[in-house]
Amino acid sequence: MSYVVSAIEWFFLAYFVLFNAGYISLNLMALPTLRRKIALRPVEDLPAVYSGLEPPVSLLVPVRNAQAGIEASVRSLLQLDYPQYEVVVIDDGSDDGTLATLQRAFELEAFPEAMWRRLPSKEVRAVFQSSTHPNLRVVDKLRGGKADALNVGINASRYPLFCAVEAASILQRDSLRRVIEPFLDDPAAIASGATVRITNGCTVANGRLERVALPRNALALLQIVEYLRAFLFGRLGWANVNAVLIISGAFGVFRKDVVVEAGGYRAASASEDMELLVRLHRLLRARGQRYSIHFVPDPICWMEAPETLAGLSTQRIQWQQGLAESLHRNRELFVMASGGAQRWLALPFFLIFECYGPLFEVAGYVLMTAMWAAGLIPGAALAAFLALAFTLGFLLSMTALLLEELSFRMYPRLSQLAALVGTAIIENLGYRQLVAVLRLIGLVRWMRGKAI
Amino acid sequence: MALVALAAALLLLAWILVVRLRGRRRAERIARQEETWRRAMHEAMERPVEERLPPIADGDLPEFLMLWNRLQETQRGPAAENMSQLLRDNGLDKRAMALLRSGSVRSRLIAMSTLGFVGAEEAWPELEAIAGSSSAMLSFAAARALLRIEPRRALDALTLSIVQRNDWSVARLGCMFTELGPALVTPSLTTMLVSRPRAGLDRVVKLARFGERSRVAPIMRGWLSSSDNPDIIMAALEYVDDERELPWAKGAATHAEWRVRMAAAKALGRIGAASELNTLLDLLRDPVWWVRYHAAQALTRLHGMTPDELRLIREKARDSFAADMLAHALAEMPIRKIKFI
Repeated sequence: MSYVVSAIEWFFLAYFVLFNAGYISLNLMALPTLRRKIALRPVEDLPAVYSGLEPPVSLLVPVRNAQAGIEASVRSLLQLDYPQYEVVVIDDGSDDGTLATLQRAFELEAFPEAMWRRLPSKEVRAVFQSSTHPNLRVVDKLRGGKADALNVGINASRYPLFCAVEAASILQRDSLRRVIEPFLDDPAAIASGATVRITNGCTVANGRLERVALPRNALALLQIVEYLRAFLFGRLGWANVNAVLIISGAFGVFRKDVVVEAGGYRAASASEDMELLVRLHRLLRARGQRYSIHFVPDPICWMEAPETLAGLSTQRIQWQQGLAESLHRNRELFVMASGGAQRWLALPFFLIFECYGPLFEVAGYVLMTAMWAAGLIPGAALAAFLALAFTLGFLLSMTALLLEELSFRMYPRLSQLAALVGTAIIENLGYRQLVAVLRLIGLVRWMRGKAI
Repeated sequence: MALVALAAALLLLAWILVVRLRGRRRAERIARQEETWRRAMHEAMERPVEERLPPIADGDLPEFLMLWNRLQETQRGPAAENMSQLLRDNGLDKRAMALLRSGSVRSRLIAMSTLGFVGAEEAWPELEAIAGSSSAMLSFAAARALLRIEPRRALDALTLSIVQRNDWSVARLGCMFTELGPALVTPSLTTMLVSRPRAGLDRVVKLARFGERSRVAPIMRGWLSSSDNPDIIMAALEYVDDERELPWAKGAATHAEWRVRMAAAKALGRIGAASELNTLLDLLRDPVWWVRYHAAQALTRLHGMTPDELRLIREKARDSFAADMLAHALAEMPIRKIKFI
């Protein structure tokens, strides 16, 4: 019995050490890219000059019942600093006044679009062309979900690159230019994603970010540190070995021909953006095609994070279902001889720490506490386990804060830094455990095949 | 182990604080000086400024030069020359040279941009060596500086790299070529085109648009009779816009490669010969959407073609794809400001 208890104790200790060490390594892997970014800043900060050879881009904006903010969002997208782009808004069967608002605001007129239906989708009811903005079209379609709307957008788009944008995203004027840059420098680029920053607490006017600040809402503040740790520097680390498995649906650019050849977005997916990217890895690896997927760390896309427990729960449960589904649907990548860094590093990492991680995390806390309560382990052992879990978590968050300090420093005031450090401590005392439980619920739901 | 992790976390916290406090002090110092720098630079743009700038510490030099570069980027003529003179009078061109030799990557990039703007010929050997280095970032910045210092000489020296270095973005080279202007870049471009390099031809073809059309077009059109490479034919068809070249465009309209057929449709539209109505009607039934799209666009451009005639053609069209595409093209006629691929 004591052997079993000891084995359990050591297993969970090892798991927590490996989990945090993995993320700290990812943060360190992000360093070369950040250094390059900092070095290049003098050149990037000079006024933009275009040659006309920049690839034109179709911005695809799927919307549903977004009447309140759609006009400001589209106006902001129409003011991006990029030489040639079009905006295609896809109204996914809204039953509020989204379409009417767009028609009024942009003087839309019915357009006899001869659409190239390369991807299957729900029926398109009508296509409208703006008479005030020649580069704006709106597609009215039957409800089919975000993935279906994006597929319609791909069918309607005219340019070789498309950029999936969420209407609620707040973009900088140079966002498109920055996210396209990898396509200028790397002929093998097939996708480029941007980091998503949190707008809660910031001042936003007319679809533009005017002032960056920290939110008063504790849940949003906790997510800021979490985003830095897991979604910014973590993904940047994976980008260095061409193993980015997630490009946020909020703002990501893809080469259209590659996506069409892969069959477009999967309509029934919980996380269509991740599923598409993992599928692209699998198909292109199988074909032996040279390709690269880039991640742009600059703060160019901002989104509102959930401020209520209910909102956070829905989001995290859905993300976890999407993650599990994407990995298992493309499991051939695990055994491919040409799997590269995805096979040997990213997929095992995602499978063990991201997909099944919540299971180990929650089980670790529950079993260790139960063993102590049953008198199987001494209080000192439980205390040592918890202390290790908390201090490693704190260390991980501090590496992310250091990288932020060395690179973007979006929160320049000392009081903001103090708030972030405080949050990095507090998040280990409940928030990380809460997120682990939510993710576990998502995992269980996926295992039981529950509807998304 | 927990204690080690805690100690490491606290160490990182101390590091963050040091970086933050040093950054703040530096930012405050720069902000205090920036006003003076900016004033001197704005005065220099108006007229040559003789008085010396206040001393600039080595640590602040990259920030000063960065500000100078930002302002210089938008200046032309006497204002740009006066700005360069401001640097020379204060010995800052020499300090930029020192920065190029011993600075960080960031400082070297700033130094290269400065030396390029100021036309520092003494930096040529160093810049030429960096332009040949394996770092895409540094080599490109050096090439840019060389092109600003002495464009013709630089173009001669960099021809091979321009053609062959895939890590030099064609779009960024295009920006440099735009800055230099067609008269300067045409001789080098024609040399590159005539040599028709095996590796990098696609890059040269894309850059050809920055040369003088009258000198580039004959070379490109010459390829129509001497190449069966679809990429080359497609590029050459971009320069077909005269009725004398109609046979080439017409011949390409039945090519096996759809991109060539699309380029042929575009060329037929540019020529606008009404005699090619049937060729375009055939292309309007092409299995590939883009070929149909450009055939419909070309039809709207044929000499003497009116919207009423197009509507008549559409009504008579037996192929529904062709009819839909004509309706699309007709609707697009008033908004043709957008240029699709």
